[in-house]
Amino acid sequence: MGTLVTIHVVRAGAGVDDAISRALGWFHAIEERCSRFDERSELSRLTAQAGRPVPVHAIVYEAVKFALMVAEESGGAFDPTVGHRMAARGFDKEHRTGERIRAASAPDDGVSYRDVLLDPDRKTITLRRPLTLDLGAVAKGLAVDTAARELEMFTDFAIDAGGDLYLGGSNEQGAPWSVGIRHPRQEHELITSLRVSNQAVCTSGDYERRAPGGEQHILDPRGGASSPVAVASATVVASRAMLADALATAVFVLGPEEGIRLLNRVGVEGLVVTPDLERYETGGLRHAA
Amino acid sequence: MAQSGSGKKIANNLVTASCAGVLAVYIAGYTRTQHAAERFTAQIAERRPVVHDPTMPPIPEPFHSPERKAEHVKAPAKPMPAPVPAETAEIPPPDPPVANIAPPAASPEPARRAETAPVAAAPKVEETPVPPPAPVWKDGTYTGWGYSRHGNIEASVVIESGRIASATISQCRTRYSCSVIERLPPQVAQRQSPDVDYVSGATQSADAFYGAVVAALGKAK
Repeated sequence: MGTLVTIHVVRAGAGVDDAISRALGWFHAIEERCSRFDERSELSRLTAQAGRPVPVHAIVYEAVKFALMVAEESGGAFDPTVGHRMAARGFDKEHRTGERIRAASAPDDGVSYRDVLLDPDRKTITLRRPLTLDLGAVAKGLAVDTAARELEMFTDFAIDAGGDLYLGGSNEQGAPWSVGIRHPRQEHELITSLRVSNQAVCTSGDYERRAPGGEQHILDPRGGASSPVAVASATVVASRAMLADALATAVFVLGPEEGIRLLNRVGVEGLVVTPDLERYETGGLRHAA
Repeated sequence: MAQSGSGKKIANNLVTASCAGVLAVYIAGYTRTQHAAERFTAQIAERRPVVHDPTMPPIPEPFHSPERKAEHVKAPAKPMPAPVPAETAEIPPPDPPVANIAPPAASPEPARRAETAPVAAAPKVEETPVPPPAPVWKDGTYTGWGYSRHGNIEASVVIESGRIASATISQCRTRYSCSVIERLPPQVAQRQSPDVDYVSGATQSADAFYGAVVAALGKAK
């Protein structure tokens, strides 16, 4: 994950050291099983066994199961099998040849999240054909959520895992936690701040820190050509980081209007900022004064 | 997956599904190595409460240092045990306090903080404001992968005379063109702000590239 994790417990009661230790341990346990970069990880070993059911630990099973649900609900805008397609004819080619590809295209091999099958009784996963499963944001969100569960008994706490947040209860002043949303173009500035209690907040941002020289393009996992970037920043507030994380990524690909519609359909809150700094948000977002 | 009758039913299920999924994982538990448990417990037991120092200015960071934390704790008194081969987390040396910390409110017990370094393979990188002797790496070229929600990046790091001579992107597996990333000047996500408790989101590209460089450096020890 390459993530720096901070855990903040407002009132350190008995057992807090143990609880924080267990909370941090979840990040390791999940990273160990879900890492795409470590060939010893359960996820890597799974992707090497196409065509047959593979029993996996609950961590991998639940993460994949949830990723597939979000893929289904977002019409494939979020797709854990997308890494496969971003490799061959995507921006990696541009990167190697130095030739600027105006609109990269993904290889049309038809691989998608539909090629991943689950057996809920045996808790096995079958990849219908060789593909790369990338759990990325889902695994990170899951780690935040299980860590938060370890700290529940302390009521008021915050977890910050590389910018993915879970805020439990109230802050040290007894008020709902205030969470700033980074301004997508002005370094060191916030575009707004929210009041959050017992919710996760995840923000997906684009790469541009200033107005781009040309139009930036993004590969859409739903196949085919890339499209101009429509979202500079997508923030989702939900009761679980695993959900907020996956949806922030989906909204990014869907664009502001379809993205907000998805969030409304699911029943979570969120804010989208376009490259022109237009804002789209759900109805229940609570801004700080 | 079986389809429910209406779209709304599926949509509502995502919220409950995320709760159920987390619960299932939590109940299943995990096997924790004795080393990891001992290391975290030892580190946490020696943390001290944060000291607010309004006279300290924010400290700018070079690109290749880990992100600054606004809240800092004092160094552990004893050195960390050596990590087991499969264990990759290391806790970085502490940073001094910076100006933009909200002072902790008076409470019966002190606020307790614990930090851990990048969970991916990471070398121990010094990050104090008084320049420490820079870490010495073994000469050669090393690659490592970094993660971002937009895809993954492989960095290639060249070590010459024990120092980082260059760090470039060798593979770009992202939904964005990596030429955008390479145009970015060195920058570090500053996740703290004086006006809020926390800031959501991190600089995606810096995280991915940084993570990749850190992973590469992990092989150069």
